[in-house]
Amino acid sequence: MTAKTRYFLVGSVLVLVVGLSIGLVAYYGGMPQGLFSGQQGPEELKYIPGDAAVVAYANVQQVMGSQLRQHLRAFEGSTDEGRNEFREKTGIDIENDIDHVVACMNKKDASGQAGGMVIAKGRFGQAQSRLEALATEQGGTVEDYKGKRILLAPTKHPHEGDTHAEMAMAFLGPNLVALGGVAAVKRAIDGSSESTSVLGNAGMMKLVSGVDNASMWAVGRFDAISAGVKLPDEVAGQIPALTWFSASGHVNGGIQATVKAEAKNEESAKNLRDIIRGFTALAKMQAGSRPEMQKLMPDIQLTDDGSKVVEVSFAVTSDMLDALTAARHAAGALKKPEPKVEPKAEQK
Amino acid sequence: MSEPLHDPLADTTPPAAPAAVGAPRQAPAFASAAMRVFDLSLGQMLWSRRTIFLALIVGSPLALGVLFRVLEMFGMGGNIRVGGASAAGATIFGGMIWILYLRFIIPVLGVFYGTALIADEVDDKTITYLFVRPISRSAILVGKYLAYLVTTVFVVLPSVVLLYLLVVPLGQGSLAASFPALLKDLGLLGVGLAAYGALFALIGAQFKHPLVTGLVFAFGWEQLALVLPGYLRRLTIAYYLQALVPHSMPQEGLGSVLQALFREVPSPWVSLAWLFGCTIVSLALAGRIVERREYVLEQ
Repeated sequence: MTAKTRYFLVGSVLVLVVGLSIGLVAYYGGMPQGLFSGQQGPEELKYIPGDAAVVAYANVQQVMGSQLRQHLRAFEGSTDEGRNEFREKTGIDIENDIDHVVACMNKKDASGQAGGMVIAKGRFGQAQSRLEALATEQGGTVEDYKGKRILLAPTKHPHEGDTHAEMAMAFLGPNLVALGGVAAVKRAIDGSSESTSVLGNAGMMKLVSGVDNASMWAVGRFDAISAGVKLPDEVAGQIPALTWFSASGHVNGGIQATVKAEAKNEESAKNLRDIIRGFTALAKMQAGSRPEMQKLMPDIQLTDDGSKVVEVSFAVTSDMLDALTAARHAAGALKKPEPKVEPKAEQK
Repeated sequence: MSEPLHDPLADTTPPAAPAAVGAPRQAPAFASAAMRVFDLSLGQMLWSRRTIFLALIVGSPLALGVLFRVLEMFGMGGNIRVGGASAAGATIFGGMIWILYLRFIIPVLGVFYGTALIADEVDDKTITYLFVRPISRSAILVGKYLAYLVTTVFVVLPSVVLLYLLVVPLGQGSLAASFPALLKDLGLLGVGLAAYGALFALIGAQFKHPLVTGLVFAFGWEQLALVLPGYLRRLTIAYYLQALVPHSMPQEGLGSVLQALFREVPSPWVSLAWLFGCTIVSLALAGRIVERREYVLEQ
């Protein structure tokens, strides 16, 4: 072997080793943020508690400005009445003033309450004073907590023994508002370090990193959700055991969504894939005999690599939504749609 | 192709003791002979004109990756779309593995290098120099096959790793989340190069115009069989390779739609077993053909 050949092989091995080492370090959470990519997830994740069961995100500007929303508005024949009323009362225009929201659902506490919090980032101007006035008008109270003013919603006890969690709202910053359980909002005001926030939850952040580029996403532990939903034993027994899930959607003219779930073992994953294939085949059979339905069938892809992770992705295109709207028009169930509004440029 | 300046196939080990002088030299064992051919062929393959083609073909995805990064630097990264939606780096990387590597680069490298293992020596009329050596003919084939494998693997896999570092972080993509998929990609590309190389080595040993036959197989038969319903797809390598891909199949044309419709995925272990079986059987058959066939050199 000549020296030239030897140098080439050594160089090639070096590239492989260095590249794989970088991937390995990143995989085990040691890669400094921003070295090869930006921060995983939105900045507001630092306010989300580390033991949150589910974390979700939505890019409000992208969704509101998308053609998908225009299609849905045309389909539902919805008006701006509700949005205008909210804007008049609070001074917040949901469509224009909110950039994105981050939400979380916590694990159930000792009292059986799950609780949660929504953090919205946007431009709220004088909304704080108007909200305070509105809250006190409705019987709410305002208290100071570590230099921040918290609006507490009146606690309702519609039935004796009912223990509804008290709701609170606070401005964490001029452009950041938190809404949720009192304890969660106070924790957000306390400020979280990386170790106590969800940023320090490596498992959850791995899920977040997989969906980070989506217009909206939700990730979490499946058991935390299923524990809160009472299903009949016959149905619950048929659902394969799942550990975590993630769902993400890219919104534009239509929506391209991906749902991933990790089963407890390969056998459970195979069962889940079989169930999905069954439903997909059933839907295709139903649509097969009706050409007008074929246009409405999203393209569903099921990834089958034999692992514990089941991944289903599907796309609802602009054409499908047009066909759906046309079908509804034809059935005479829809008012004439408003003229289409040009979608806003997608914000990163 | 061959360099007759020195004789690398000759046993150059100096005699251990004066008593050995004049003793008849023994032919090297199969493995030893194969390794000597490998050593000779590796340099020839790496520094041949074919390597320019290899560099071009493997460099094109990297050039695309660099282009994507430049676009992102100028704030146009969000315009990279797959299926109409802004795509994350991992999705783009998965698509490139599917479309560029699995469907094009791996079969092409297999065809161009695999069919040339024996055919080049025949065309250059240098095969006689190899066959007159006191080594098994199949050892020559195995040695050349190993040289092909090392050449292609050591060029393709680093390029995939570089592509991973370039493309996956696009749009705040995560290197960590895609790392397991990268390992699977590297493994399946290695297996793919081995399987295609062995099959095309067999074609190169058997057919008179192996390049044409190989191209027809890779871009005619395989593409057709994959979209046809029934069992024909099982007679392709791509069918088993695709079952190992950790990324979703991209929807870039009618062929993919048809393929997705008729998709029946064998389990990873079944696919691996078939691919290894195909590699071993193809190499064994190619070795048998090379051992028995009389290559007539055209004057």
